Amino acid sequence: MIRAHQLTKRFADKNAVDGIDFVVEPGRVTGFLGPNGAGKSTTMRMILGLDAPTSGSVSVNGHRYAASPAPLREIGALLDAHAIHPGRSARDHLRWLAASNGIPTTRVGEVLDLVGLESVAGQRAGRFSLGMGQRLGIAAAMLGDPPVVVLDEPVNGLDPEGIRWVRTLARQLADEGRTVFISSHLMSEMALMADHLLVIGRGSILADCSMTEFMSDHAASYVRVKAPALGDAANLLTGRGLEVTRVDDELRIGGMDAPSVGELMFRHGLMVHELTLVRSSLEDAFMTLTADSVEYHASTEGAVA
Amino acid sequence: MSATLMESGAVVERTDVRRPGLGAVLRSEWIKLTTVRSTWWTLVATFVLGAGLTILMCWGNADWLASEGADESPGSFITWGMMIAQITAVVLGALVVTTEYGTGMIRTTFAAVPARGRVLAAKSVVVVAVLFVVGTVTAFVGYFGGNYFLDREGIGMSLEGDVLRAMYGSGLYLAGIGLFTVAVGFLLRHTAGTISIVLALMLILGNMVNLVPGEFGEWLTKLMPGNAGSAIATPVSFNPNLLDAWTGFAVFGAETAVLLLLAWAMVRRRDA
Repeated sequence: MIRAHQLTKRFADKNAVDGIDFVVEPGRVTGFLGPNGAGKSTTMRMILGLDAPTSGSVSVNGHRYAASPAPLREIGALLDAHAIHPGRSARDHLRWLAASNGIPTTRVGEVLDLVGLESVAGQRAGRFSLGMGQRLGIAAAMLGDPPVVVLDEPVNGLDPEGIRWVRTLARQLADEGRTVFISSHLMSEMALMADHLLVIGRGSILADCSMTEFMSDHAASYVRVKAPALGDAANLLTGRGLEVTRVDDELRIGGMDAPSVGELMFRHGLMVHELTLVRSSLEDAFMTLTADSVEYHASTEGAVA
Repeated sequence: MSATLMESGAVVERTDVRRPGLGAVLRSEWIKLTTVRSTWWTLVATFVLGAGLTILMCWGNADWLASEGADESPGSFITWGMMIAQITAVVLGALVVTTEYGTGMIRTTFAAVPARGRVLAAKSVVVVAVLFVVGTVTAFVGYFGGNYFLDREGIGMSLEGDVLRAMYGSGLYLAGIGLFTVAVGFLLRHTAGTISIVLALMLILGNMVNLVPGEFGEWLTKLMPGNAGSAIATPVSFNPNLLDAWTGFAVFGAETAVLLLLAWAMVRRRDA
């Protein structure tokens, strides 16, 4: 479990992370979502004790990370897949990590197996593709078989097969009762992977809810109508007090479900060619949500100036 | 402090977990040091330059040193190559620290070992150990090779007293330089910057302060790290105005210790 309390990080003159509170629970995959520069990586570095919070605190398994008696066995992290010495082999990279925490060397072979890098383990990591680097980073995170796993943008640079593999691994780790915290700036990826969502924008938490809740709260829906007499249909529906927008050769109707719209059209003798309930994607919902936070900040800054 | 771990596939709370000690961090740093090619290249360069140039200089100057007109001592030539080999010690000390900052791997290191002082200590120990051994072996090989040519001219030196001290003194000096650079590396976190600054301090500034007039200039010259530390690596110094071997090395050690303390304070405070 990871718990942040009023966690704040100030760089120069702006708060990269602005007094956030959250809890990452075990047994589920928590997606940490936000546009680039929202404060995701800074938060993750503070979780790992790499950056000191300006104020507030964050704990892992009930204590500060730096106080852990067995750091790599309590929390495994992938922060940056590029952060490897290019001249050292994958196996040697894992060997020094294992040695630093007294983890038996046999574990190195196991995690290389787990991520599918055993055949290239002797190669210098500088020759690795970004995807192989990500796999090595995940191997490093799993070295201590930790109950808390933190992965910063783990699907960056992975091919579709690799992305599916990360998804399956995350699911499996959560099912084993581990705390899984994965950041991404891609909503579509999170939608497939996460049970719970933590959305961050401009250093503040914008949403902290289950994926289902997020969808019903933020993903807008409308009914698309295509009809030969579009003008008559528009008049009829507007007359009923519905929100109607005309886009090219279709009407978008909010505030009524598809069957009711169909019945209404039928009773007034209007022919319908298409009647569809359209839900906007999570990507749209996420964009809307974070765009709001950007606008909010822009307007307050303007007001101060 | 209890630890939450996975055991046989289940999350368990354990109170009997002891944090891995300095030995684990030392093993880890030793693996890091020995698994990159740059370490081996640097050490080979130390040996080739240190022993090779000593032998070459003794071969080329034995004749002159044995003659009436010689105004230098053969003792100044018997570890001559070490003056050049110190450059490789600077490079090794820098690489051990700054490549981690350059690649960002330092975050992985500090996440694995949150007690950052131990990382600094372990890096210091492995650099000192390796450079002391390689420096001493290099000096011995240089002595045996160079003394062969001096002997032929009847000015050979036996391996005792100041000559013997200069052998392990060479190892001590290279180790000291490496350690000094480790400290600078943690402060600057940048490979080129660290190497340039240390080399400039040792080789250029160390000679330029000669130009400062009066007693102040003399003392400044004596106290510059490269000048104070290097006297231990040679039986007879080219510059007669330096501190005694052990006094000088103690000064150099103190300067290095101050830098290390500064580095330690910064590493603990700074965001990685």
